[in-house]
Amino acid sequence: MRFLGIDVGSLSCDAALLDDRGELLAATVVPTGARNREAIARATDEVLRAAGVCAQDVTAIVSTGYGRDRVEGRRAAVTEITCHARGIQALLPGTRLLIDIGGQDSKAVRFDAQGGVADFAMNDKCAAGTGRFLEAMARALEVDVSALGGLDREGTDGATLSSMCTVFAESEVVSLIADGVAVGAIVRGLHRAIASRTLGMVKRIAPDLSGLVVAMSGGVAHNAGVVRALSAALGCAVRVPPRPDIVGAFGAALIARERFGG
Amino acid sequence: MIGEYFAGLARDIEAKLAAEPAASSARKVFALEVARLGVRLYSPGRPVAWCGVLAPFDLLNGVGVTSCFAEFVGAMLAGMGAATPPLEGAEQAGYAADTCAYHRAVVGAAMQGMMPVPDFLVATTTPCTGGLAAIENLARLFRRELLVLQIPRAETEAGVRFLAGQLERLARFAAGRAGTALDAERVAAAVELSNLTRGLMVEIYDLARKVPSPVGNRDLANFGIVVPLLMGTQAGVDVARATRDELAARVGDGKSGVAGERFRLLWVQNRIQFPNPLLKLLEDEYRAVIVVDELNDVTWEPIDPADPYPGMARRAIGLPLNGPAERRVARLRQLATEYRVDGVIHPCHWGCRQGTGIRGLVQRGFRETGIPVLNLEVDCIDARSFSEGQLRTRLEAFLELIAGRPRASA
Repeated sequence: MRFLGIDVGSLSCDAALLDDRGELLAATVVPTGARNREAIARATDEVLRAAGVCAQDVTAIVSTGYGRDRVEGRRAAVTEITCHARGIQALLPGTRLLIDIGGQDSKAVRFDAQGGVADFAMNDKCAAGTGRFLEAMARALEVDVSALGGLDREGTDGATLSSMCTVFAESEVVSLIADGVAVGAIVRGLHRAIASRTLGMVKRIAPDLSGLVVAMSGGVAHNAGVVRALSAALGCAVRVPPRPDIVGAFGAALIARERFGG
Repeated sequence: MIGEYFAGLARDIEAKLAAEPAASSARKVFALEVARLGVRLYSPGRPVAWCGVLAPFDLLNGVGVTSCFAEFVGAMLAGMGAATPPLEGAEQAGYAADTCAYHRAVVGAAMQGMMPVPDFLVATTTPCTGGLAAIENLARLFRRELLVLQIPRAETEAGVRFLAGQLERLARFAAGRAGTALDAERVAAAVELSNLTRGLMVEIYDLARKVPSPVGNRDLANFGIVVPLLMGTQAGVDVARATRDELAARVGDGKSGVAGERFRLLWVQNRIQFPNPLLKLLEDEYRAVIVVDELNDVTWEPIDPADPYPGMARRAIGLPLNGPAERRVARLRQLATEYRVDGVIHPCHWGCRQGTGIRGLVQRGFRETGIPVLNLEVDCIDARSFSEGQLRTRLEAFLELIAGRPRASA
């Protein structure tokens, strides 16, 4: 038996394929683009091919993410809160607080002692501080978004971003560049601003952070600068699983196995 | 446009009820009486007052003045899918887009000639200063006299006397605008009807508490906030009686409002007024039912028809939206316990400082009781800000969360 989880996000479409013991056979991340269904088909083809599995051999598909209802052949659609929660508890057992920053959503999930979801919060009204925000800032800085983590490491403290509105922050970044502020310092300022905003969301569901084991998932967790800034803001270590961007798809596949694995 | 809408709605419901009396329902009776109220508001030659939500509508009905709270117009426009032009009009006139859209819509509607010119206006100092400002704006636009009821924040004998005196002066003033002297017997008759409606509402909420609840997600939507407009009239009694009878019949037949009721929810403050798929999602996919709205289950002691003003004053002062947040949070917790809810949905209407300002206190209050709360970021009137996917994800994740917990009604 094989179980497929598909996470259709705004920026990327992720797939994870498990065997009947819950072991990961293959996983992939492809850009969602403008056509969800094409991205879903591509992600599915890629994991099946990588694992050498035929589509008919997939016992159940569980979809998640913003486009979860567009996945044909799904046995269930489950929200990304539940799937990320399930995924992180399998990858990093004992996690009591998860921060997930994806393309246009950021979320914080607090767990009870058994690993069940106790509470959650998501970003309010706008997508500031998410993957799309970082993409826009990288464009303004004329660097690739994947380079932000490295630039943060080379940077120094000093630059402060006063606005988290994507449009205003972009103007502010341009002004800082014009003022001769080093790119690394601007990147650090951006990451601190994201961490500060995320802390506000986290505190709504976990006023007392002491002793909590914290993990991070989502594509933005690849950015070591954001992870460092979050760790500083929260005052504790932030653990990141080896492939943070497939946590949702992995969790969906685990749910498929639990619900439909017989 | 709105007047024609009400007239058409009333005609349609009347025709349907005449053609098929067996298809009558409490909600149709409610909609018909609301439409008839709308027709009265928009008919020339009748004395009309635009008011704040805590105005004494039974008293105004008793002196022959058709009255309505201004936010009702914003809700109706949103329900008709027609709120955008007045919202844009208000914004173009300088109203900030992050102020309450109930008030923006009604000010825009007045500016665009969509509201009848009233004979006078009655503002109330609670529950929100935004509402007071909206009525003050309307008074300026319409160039009509404004009375402001100063509602004390706490119930003291001095406070009751203070407000009772204002209510009596309002009654005399309103009767004069209706072209009559204040008739104590007429007011007493209205109070008798108001008390009857109140008694039926108490019964309705008792029925709604049952497990499973006989209410569906739409049965009591906006009920507790709109029925007061009909207080003091036979229409109010008819609506409440039809609702009570329908719910009692369901209980008698062993039927629940949502088939196979699974989750019981408390809805804080206002419903989302424009058409949206969230209630259907709750019902169809999760068998979740809003068993209580914060703005329903608001009742008070019967009012003495021979001396109505102190009772009306106590009613206004005692309403949960008046007074400190602590009282409101305590009442929400009480509702959650009495109705045995599994979760609380707090829509945090954009621009409502009172609603969003209390958000943290509500969440903390429920956290102490172990009842989960979902804060939805939504504008209940302005559909331009509605993001279905975002809200759907939050709502579904919340229902998945409470699905993993023991049922409060078990």
